[in-house]
Amino acid sequence: MATTFSEAARATRKKKEIKLVGVDMYIVTEQGIPTFPDGEFGPFKCEFISNRGTKVWPGFVSPDLMMVNWYRCRFMSTRDVNDSDVDTFLSVLTKKGWWWSAAQKLWTHDGEAAYSKAY
Amino acid sequence: MAQHVVTMLPGEGTGPEICEAVRLVIDASGVDIKWEYEEIGLGCLEKYGTLLPDKTIKNIAKNKVALKGPTTTPIGTGHKSANVTLRKVFDLFANVRPAKLIPVLKRPWDTIDIINFRENTEDSYAAIEHMVSDEVAQCLKVITWPGSYRIADFAFQWAKANGRKKVYCVHKANIMKMTDGLFLDAFREAAKKYPEIEIGDVIVDNCCMQLVRNPAQFDCLVLPNLYGDILTDLCAGLVGGLGFAPGANIGDNCSIFEAVHGSAPKYAGMKKVNPSAVLVSGIMMLRWLKETAAADRIEKAMFAVLDERKHVTYDVGGTATTDEYAQAIVDKMHAKA
Ligand SMILES: NC(=O)c1ccc[n+]([C@@H]2O[C@H](COP(=O)([O-])OP(=O)(O)OC[C@H]3O[C@@H](n4cnc5c(N)ncnc54)[C@H](O)[C@@H]3O)[C@@H](O)[C@H]2O)c1
Repeated sequence: MATTFSEAARATRKKKEIKLVGVDMYIVTEQGIPTFPDGEFGPFKCEFISNRGTKVWPGFVSPDLMMVNWYRCRFMSTRDVNDSDVDTFLSVLTKKGWWWSAAQKLWTHDGEAAYSKAY
Repeated sequence: MAQHVVTMLPGEGTGPEICEAVRLVIDASGVDIKWEYEEIGLGCLEKYGTLLPDKTIKNIAKNKVALKGPTTTPIGTGHKSANVTLRKVFDLFANVRPAKLIPVLKRPWDTIDIINFRENTEDSYAAIEHMVSDEVAQCLKVITWPGSYRIADFAFQWAKANGRKKVYCVHKANIMKMTDGLFLDAFREAAKKYPEIEIGDVIVDNCCMQLVRNPAQFDCLVLPNLYGDILTDLCAGLVGGLGFAPGANIGDNCSIFEAVHGSAPKYAGMKKVNPSAVLVSGIMMLRWLKETAAADRIEKAMFAVLDERKHVTYDVGGTATTDEYAQAIVDKMHAKA
C-alpha cells in the first residue's frame, strides 16, 4: 500500500507558522527558589518559576506548599531570537553554575502559545 | 458546643440551589455553623478577571474549612480550572472519595465500602504541556517521591484512625517503571510504619475489571491523580451514580469538601438535581470537625427518606425537587428528635 489513510489525513493538515519565543529550563537545586536577575541572560528574561506545576515565583507562595528540588523556569525572549541565541543562553546558565535536567524550547504556532501556563 | 466558621462556595450551574438545600439540612442537625459565603468560578471572571478572587482565598485561609458546590470549567480557553487552582494554592494533596453503598438503592452487590485516596496535585495535572512539533504534543507526567509518600502516609493514617484493614496501591508500574514505579516505592516505604495494615498493589486496568466484578474485595485504595480521577467516577457509578458521590480535598492546613459531580448546567435553576453528594460531603465535613452526632443524625434521616422513596429526586426514580428532598430530611430529623 503506497499511502496509508493516516498519511492522506496528515497531508490535509495545514502547516503552521512556527516562531521561537522562549525556553522552559528544568533546574535541579537544593537552594530553594532560584533567582535570575533581569539583564544577565541576554535576550531572555525569566517570566515565572513553578514547582510541581504550581507557580512559586513571582507572587504569593502558600506556606502550605510542598516543593521538590526541581523547578521549571520559564524564560521568554525580549526580542526576536533564533536557535543559536538559545545555545548561548544555555552556556550562560551552565557557567553561572545552574544544573539543569532539560531545556524545552517554546514556540508559537500561527501566533498562539503552543505551551501551557502554570497554575 | 463550639461554633464553627465555614466558608461556603456555592459554585455555579446547579451549585447554588444544591448548596442552599444542603445548608438547610446541616443547620437543622443541631450543629452551630457560621457560614461565610464567597464567590468562585466563571462569574468572577467577568467581575474580577479571575476564576478565584483573592478575597475567596483569604477567607478559606482564615477559616481552614470550606464546603464547595460544583463550578463550571471553560473547555479549551486559556483559563485554568478554579478547582485545580484551589488544590494547588492550598496544596490540598489528598482527595478522599469514599464509595459506600447506600443500603436502599438496589444494586447487584451487597456491599461496597471503598475509600479512594487520590493524590491531588501531581501526575499529568502539573500543567506542563508543550507542542514539540506542529503534529506532536507532550504532557509531562510528574511524580515525586515526597508527594507520593505523603498521600500514602495520609491513607495509612486515615485507615488506622478509622479501623480499616487493607490499603492497596493502584498503579501501572509494569509499563511506567519510573513514574508509577516511584509512586509504588514510596507507598511501600510509607507502609513500613503501619505493620498492622494489610498492603498490596494492583495494576490499574485490572483494578477496573475487579471493581466491576467484585468490588467487595477492596477497602482503601491509594492512587496517582489521573487514575484516581477515573476510578472514583467508576466507583461513584457502582454505588448509585454521581448524585451520591462525596469528596474531600485535604491539605496540612485547609480542607475543602465537595461532591465528585460537576455543575450539571443543563439543569441549572430547575431545582431538580440531587443534593445528596454535596450533603454527604457536608457529612464528611462534620465528621472532620468532630461533629459526629450531627453527622450521624443527617445520614440516618437521609437514608430513611431514600428508603421511603416518597420525596426523592428524579435520578433515583422520584419527582421531588431539590428543596422538597432536603425538607423531607429535615422533617425526618425533627420527627426522630
Ligand atoms: N468539582 C467540580 O466543580 C466539577 C467536577 C466535574 C465537572 N465540573 C464541571 O461541571 C461542568 C459540567 O460537567 P459534566 O456535564 O461533564 O458533568 P456533571 O457532573 O455536571 O454532569 C454529568 C451528568 O450527571 C448527572 N448529574 C450530575 N450531578 C447530578 C446531581 N447532583 N443530581 C442528579 N444528576 C446529576 C446529570 O445527568 C448530568 O448531566 C463542566 O464545566 C465541568 O468542568 C466541575
